[in-house]
Amino acid sequence: MDCREFCDQHLAFVDDTLAGIELVRVQRHLLECESCAKHDAKIRRALLLFRNLPSIEPSADFSQRLEARLRNCEYDNLFATTQRNLRRGAIAATVASVLMLGYIGTTLFHSDTPHDLVMAPVVASVPELDLTPITTSTPAIVTSVSAGLTIWPAALFAEQVPVRFAHSSLELANYTR
Amino acid sequence: MADIVRKQKVSVEGATVRERLQAMDDSAVVTAFLGGEERAFSELVTRYQTRLLNFVYRTIGDREKAEDLVQEVFIRVYRHLHRFDRSKKFSTWVYTIASNLAKNELRNRSRNPLVLFQTVQKNFQDEDRPLQFEDTTSRPDDMYRKRHLREIVEETVAKLPEHHRNVFILRELEGKSYEEIAEITDCNLGTVKSRLNRARNSFAEIIAPYVD
Repeated sequence: MDCREFCDQHLAFVDDTLAGIELVRVQRHLLECESCAKHDAKIRRALLLFRNLPSIEPSADFSQRLEARLRNCEYDNLFATTQRNLRRGAIAATVASVLMLGYIGTTLFHSDTPHDLVMAPVVASVPELDLTPITTSTPAIVTSVSAGLTIWPAALFAEQVPVRFAHSSLELANYTR
Repeated sequence: MADIVRKQKVSVEGATVRERLQAMDDSAVVTAFLGGEERAFSELVTRYQTRLLNFVYRTIGDREKAEDLVQEVFIRVYRHLHRFDRSKKFSTWVYTIASNLAKNELRNRSRNPLVLFQTVQKNFQDEDRPLQFEDTTSRPDDMYRKRHLREIVEETVAKLPEHHRNVFILRELEGKSYEEIAEITDCNLGTVKSRLNRARNSFAEIIAPYVD
């Protein structure tokens, strides 16, 4: 092992993390090289000095001050949480108000414009017809007309005219077929 | 009478809880605190206050400020403990917070002309420059007699570049592993080893005239 390699391994050597073979090589180099041995001693002595520095202790009121700061911290947290909740509530209320106003505005605006009504489809149905043929020589009608009596039977007859005509057309078609 | 008995009962219960907390490891104490046991936080403070104070004090060199920073560390721990990843070591997390605060303090000082270490540090910006102690008139044995050795050691530590000093203190004073130091300082393992080696050599070089 040369001095350069020794310097590379020295960190692990001081920390006792060198593997067996490497450890033996470093120890052998220390015996052979006075300069490296001096360097090793210098480092170890300095570290010993540093590691033995007296520990400093926190001042007497350290705990009290910390406790006071933690209490403040709790109070701040509580205050911040309350503020945050209030802010959230205010935002929610604002949003709800805006939505409500928007809905009301939209409703009012659209009430003037005509709507396209969608209605149920109309299914036309024809009443079942009484297709009994009318004999124009109904005695009641003949009597009423000639006698100038009430005209309701005539009105009744007139009401049934379209149907009667249609029926007669159908009958005519049947006959001509 | 009943009042006295009740007080004694509460006191005994408190003592039992404290003893139980003392027997727990950090992770269990953290779990207890998150479970609502407020006394668990006091236990964490008791465990770490002196260690953190020494670490921060050796890093920034100002006792009063170090106490303030350690308090700040505990405040941050208190506030953010629920976010702490419990699969990791609590001590590493606490030291990371302390290290970052100390770094910020040194950075703030370097922006201020009236700083403690500025004049010292500016001589050591270049990592490759060999470190030499200017005052060679004092004899080491005199220093010992005058009990100035402690001050000399502290001054010597203060003369190391900040990132070397940090690693040096974490290793030599706090006994952290290389891996933990890498995590605390957010560096890779190789950088930690390199910085530690340089810090040791620089420290030994500066302190040598006083101990030979």
